[in-house]
Amino acid sequence: MRAFELYSAKDSHDAVALLAKHSATSKVRIIAGGTDLLADLKFSAHSPNVVVDISRAEDLKSIIATEDGLRIGALVTHSQIMRSVIIKEMFPALVDAAHTIGAVQTRNLGTIGGNLVTAVPSMDSGATLIALEAIASIQGPEGRHEVPLLDFFLGPRKTILKPDELLAEIIIPKQNLGKPTAFLKFGLRKGQALALVNSAASFWVDWEKHTFVAPRIGLGAVAPKVIRATQAETFLEGRKITPEVMAEAGLIAASDAKPISDFRASAGYRKNLVAVLTKRVLEGAYALAQAKR
Amino acid sequence: MLTVTLKVNGETRTAVVPPETTLLRMLRDQLNLTGSKLGCDVGDCGACTVIVDGKVVNSCLMLAGQAEGRDVQTIEGLATMDRVHPIQRAFEDCASLQCGFCGPGVIMSAKALLDEIPNPTIPQIRDALGGNLCRCTGYVKMIEAILIAATAMRGESAQASR
Amino acid sequence: MDKDKNPKVAEKVSPVETVLKEPGILHEPVAAPLVTYPIEVVIPKARQQTPAVGQRATRLDGRLHGLGQTGYIDDMTFPGMLYAKIRRAGVASARIKSIDTSEAEAMPGVMAVLTGKDVPNNSFGPSIKDQPVLAYERVFHAGDGIVAVAAVTEQIAAEACQKVKIEFEVLTPVLDPLESLKLETPGVHAPSANIYQKKFIKKGDVEKGFAMSDHIIEGHFTTQMVEHVPMEPHATIAMWDANGRLTVYSTLGRITLGRADLASTLGIPISRVRIVATIVGGNFGGKNEITTEPVLALLSKKTGRPVKSVFTRPDEFIASTTRHPLIMDYKTGVTKDGRIQARKLRLVLDGGAYCSWSETTLSKACILSAGPYNIENLYAEAYVVYTNKTMTGAMRGFGAPQVCFAYESHMDDIATLLNMDPLDIRLINAFHEGSISPTGQKLQSVVVKESLLRAAERFGWNPKGSTAGAGKILPKEITSGTTVRA
Repeated sequence: MRAFELYSAKDSHDAVALLAKHSATSKVRIIAGGTDLLADLKFSAHSPNVVVDISRAEDLKSIIATEDGLRIGALVTHSQIMRSVIIKEMFPALVDAAHTIGAVQTRNLGTIGGNLVTAVPSMDSGATLIALEAIASIQGPEGRHEVPLLDFFLGPRKTILKPDELLAEIIIPKQNLGKPTAFLKFGLRKGQALALVNSAASFWVDWEKHTFVAPRIGLGAVAPKVIRATQAETFLEGRKITPEVMAEAGLIAASDAKPISDFRASAGYRKNLVAVLTKRVLEGAYALAQAKR
Repeated sequence: MLTVTLKVNGETRTAVVPPETTLLRMLRDQLNLTGSKLGCDVGDCGACTVIVDGKVVNSCLMLAGQAEGRDVQTIEGLATMDRVHPIQRAFEDCASLQCGFCGPGVIMSAKALLDEIPNPTIPQIRDALGGNLCRCTGYVKMIEAILIAATAMRGESAQASR
Repeated sequence: MDKDKNPKVAEKVSPVETVLKEPGILHEPVAAPLVTYPIEVVIPKARQQTPAVGQRATRLDGRLHGLGQTGYIDDMTFPGMLYAKIRRAGVASARIKSIDTSEAEAMPGVMAVLTGKDVPNNSFGPSIKDQPVLAYERVFHAGDGIVAVAAVTEQIAAEACQKVKIEFEVLTPVLDPLESLKLETPGVHAPSANIYQKKFIKKGDVEKGFAMSDHIIEGHFTTQMVEHVPMEPHATIAMWDANGRLTVYSTLGRITLGRADLASTLGIPISRVRIVATIVGGNFGGKNEITTEPVLALLSKKTGRPVKSVFTRPDEFIASTTRHPLIMDYKTGVTKDGRIQARKLRLVLDGGAYCSWSETTLSKACILSAGPYNIENLYAEAYVVYTNKTMTGAMRGFGAPQVCFAYESHMDDIATLLNMDPLDIRLINAFHEGSISPTGQKLQSVVVKESLLRAAERFGWNPKGSTAGAGKILPKEITSGTTVRA
């Protein structure tokens, strides 16, 4: 790896100060878990001069339920998400998503914030959070401001973060706490695999009319960034919950998706996956809703 | 240059390294602990697996500076003067390793698993080894050895608590 | 451990795994059930025959491996050791117009720089000596090394490699082996022809055999380039003593060949070359020939210090040998009861940029191409061609796995066509005691049929559950062209 200077931040404010200080004069990258950054830098031609290590910022490592909703610190690792009692109880889909990432070693280092900030289209945390209408809490020199996670991503490896900003927390809004959600990833292997398709579905059930309420579907790896399957959502809202409807929604979601063809799979194959996985996550979320009733 | 002080296999060690040095390189080049291997340097193969603060990590994906003050366990720290670790013993008895290059990484992953789950199922073992690649063996005998080691370790801790 | 419990029926699986197990469009590959065999080890008694099969055997190196104390080449350091990196071409086919190493040489910490002109005999190879130590005038594949730098740290050596300026005249590469096969395609190693080795096997008269057949079926099969991916990357350390003797520590599997290659490329007597090879971290054929050894020897000579080089994982893919991709065309004539009358086949091996072990691979592939079947009339032709792609060399089977894929898939296709059980058609045609191989060898200790039957019984072969039933009987000489890729 090429040489760089390394500065270790004590907490999130220190981190932002370091970013502000160095990004004016140097090429700066942030290291949290290092699973994306270091893998990238080992054989890269674009090296930073300065690396700011935020891995010790304890104030970004908590998972708390507050009156705004569930706040997940950006430095929470995928392993910690899998073990968190709150998340296991409220959002087993987030546990599932975390479990599909890499392997044990990478899950112990990799953070949910890092996964989002790296912003590769196949990134595994995004679909579920998008389906839960999560909000990104960004910290800059002026303090915090919030942006819907859907608008946080601009394209492959591009987010709205400015050089002196960092993603501090992900907030799942209060009204979605406990919303039945399911997630599925399809990769060419069970472990250490890039997603061909990620699909997450989240909805409430009107038990009287037996219909979908506020259905949200997040799709990953089928567009330059994580997207919502808006046509499928519109189709589902207020409709009766039946297996046929779920299958139909899957097909509509497939048309919401705009996947590419590459050496891993063709666009047609990915669309087919979207249809099937979306149907299954709808079924999964419904099963969860019934269990919780 | 960075001065890094950390605990390695129970001993406090210090090294002076350039900031871009990874934990793996510091262990191998500065601290002479060559048991952890460099297989890919990008966290895919797991040959560099060590245990940091109780959790397995790819030491090639951690900067030496990030290990400051932490508790690191490498393959060299498993055996004691009076015995090899039950996992090492089981791997030997079952002939689980062929060329041996992936061995230290696999054994550390196995140790972390058994420290947390003393009685693992086969799917749990597969999940724990998911980040360790082996090109020689096909993993079957490793899984067998881990099951045998688990039994041995449960027996040992039962003995110890008597 | 509960030997009877099916490991697929897990107690604790995450919801992801549960959903993936459902039958339907998406199903995971079938996991083989855990093999059960006696864990109780029989203690051998003196002067008694103890069966070896089923016994647990330990390995001599098991203790050191488990302790992490096995010494691989990269674990070794020597006082004053330097690190070398090689700048690789990055272009498939080119003429090298100029190499400017001045900026690299001026970097602090760089102790020596090497190009092809510094190599006494800049070509070697296990059979055809067509491989340069460092490419000097021509580049034949993207992994060709052009400049080598020895420096006090790996980082400086890598930086220095980037600072070398190379001017290329990019040429059109030949990438398709079938293109390369055509006589009008310019030779990759012109003036040498692209077809650098051929082999033909002729037995009986195939045209007569086809005339006697009720059906003729054709098949087209291809296999891809495969990289060995040994867990341990190639590593070498070279040093000289004051008497002018070279010692090389290397992950080399074939030391005598390595000594010969070093002696010839460096122009020194073989008695002055010592190679110390220790436990290799995975070979599979990819470490059977030298890679950077002559380069490091020369860098060590220039600097007077030991020099080490370790391949990065990307280097393993572009600069080390790979398995030959094969393009295989089969044409078989059978009687309606499944007896093979004639087989005609053509193999085209993608021989990469240099010969390496291609001749052996071609030979093996051709000899084994007909499969373990009694075929009276056989015509096999096999060619290996140059392309501007990664070197293809030895890998586990040397051509045998590729043709096996072809002739066995072909056999299944024939069974489908004839509406026969794939096991039956093999039993009808398989070698038996005393069968004559395609190259005229009389075979002994032949147990093909017994093995097939025993295996079928063991894994519960059920012909009614197989896909063999669907074929239609077609008139003679209608070809059922199947294109199958591995």
